[in-house]
Amino acid sequence: MRRPSAIEKEAGQIETVQDLTGVFESLASTQVAKVKSKVELSKEFFRLLWQRYSSIRVDPAVRITNRELGDEQARKVLVIISAEAGLSGDIDIRLIETMQQNYDPKTTDIIVLGSHGASMLTQRGIPYVRFFQVPESDSYIDVSPVIEAVLPYTQIIVYYEEYVSLGVQNIKTIDLISSLRDMSEEASEDAMTAAETIFEPSINEIADQMEITMMNLALSQTILESSLAQAASRFNAMAVAKKRAGELLGDYQLEFHRAKRAQSDRQLREVMTTLKKKHKRQGELI
Amino acid sequence: MKHPEVTTELHVIARAPFTLYYEGPATSLSATNKVGQFDILPGHADFFSVLNPGEIVIETGGEPVSFTINNGILTVRDNQAMLFVNM
Repeated sequence: MRRPSAIEKEAGQIETVQDLTGVFESLASTQVAKVKSKVELSKEFFRLLWQRYSSIRVDPAVRITNRELGDEQARKVLVIISAEAGLSGDIDIRLIETMQQNYDPKTTDIIVLGSHGASMLTQRGIPYVRFFQVPESDSYIDVSPVIEAVLPYTQIIVYYEEYVSLGVQNIKTIDLISSLRDMSEEASEDAMTAAETIFEPSINEIADQMEITMMNLALSQTILESSLAQAASRFNAMAVAKKRAGELLGDYQLEFHRAKRAQSDRQLREVMTTLKKKHKRQGELI
Repeated sequence: MKHPEVTTELHVIARAPFTLYYEGPATSLSATNKVGQFDILPGHADFFSVLNPGEIVIETGGEPVSFTINNGILTVRDNQAMLFVNM
């Protein structure tokens, strides 16, 4: 049996791990609350802007698909939105595995957001054409460099992480152009026509600007949603780690008490044996 | 062109993706677009514009609300002005 002092030392280290995971768990919980409120605000913003955009009755899908395509004309692109760092549980692994099911290197390029996803792709030997850090979401998310990179492709599929609840996060995909088309078909706002409305500088310039804005916002939404799912996944991972550390600490404490008792029993036995020997010697002398 | 009924108040909603700058009645709204600086007053005709970076001023009858934008879209319809900024 190990010495109680050695067990006590290891238990102290486990206790530190438990405290740390507790702190991470609490940070993740705060992050979930913060990002969740941003997701709600952003969704409402997008809905209101979309209503107004759809009122000018310019089909965004037609405009986007009519854009000038680059050399990658025949290719599609998968945009992967992962975490910037680890400690997010298994959610990024699930993201990459889901993406791999539909990845054909002959027809598809990969653009990855987030260092964690990029390093996992490298580990698996999957090449990517561009890497972007996940944009900060404190004030607003600037995704214009990403939009610029994806515009030359015929199809833009975004793989992202969706928050369902604190316990459940799913992997989702959207076709950026098709989703804009679907939303356009659902438009309910009355049309604003040139006969009744002043368009400045012109309806075409407004439509061009709005088209890019709506794509930016759609992509920003997926980044925010992923960020929320990652925070929830981190919370779960830390809660599990904290629980395991707690259980381990319990085992260590039990082992410590057993070792302590064994040590005490051993000391008592030694005292008793010494006493017996002493009494025996005294008896012999008398 | 449709002209709303004469009214003294404009309803303004000004927001960025995560921020609500102002929502409520206003007597005027000032901004700048490619054509130049302009004011929206109550009863303005329906209007749709891409805004230039600069300052937005909303006169509320009390303390004016002002903030700076990097980009924005302004729509005015039925005496309701909606500003979407910093996207």
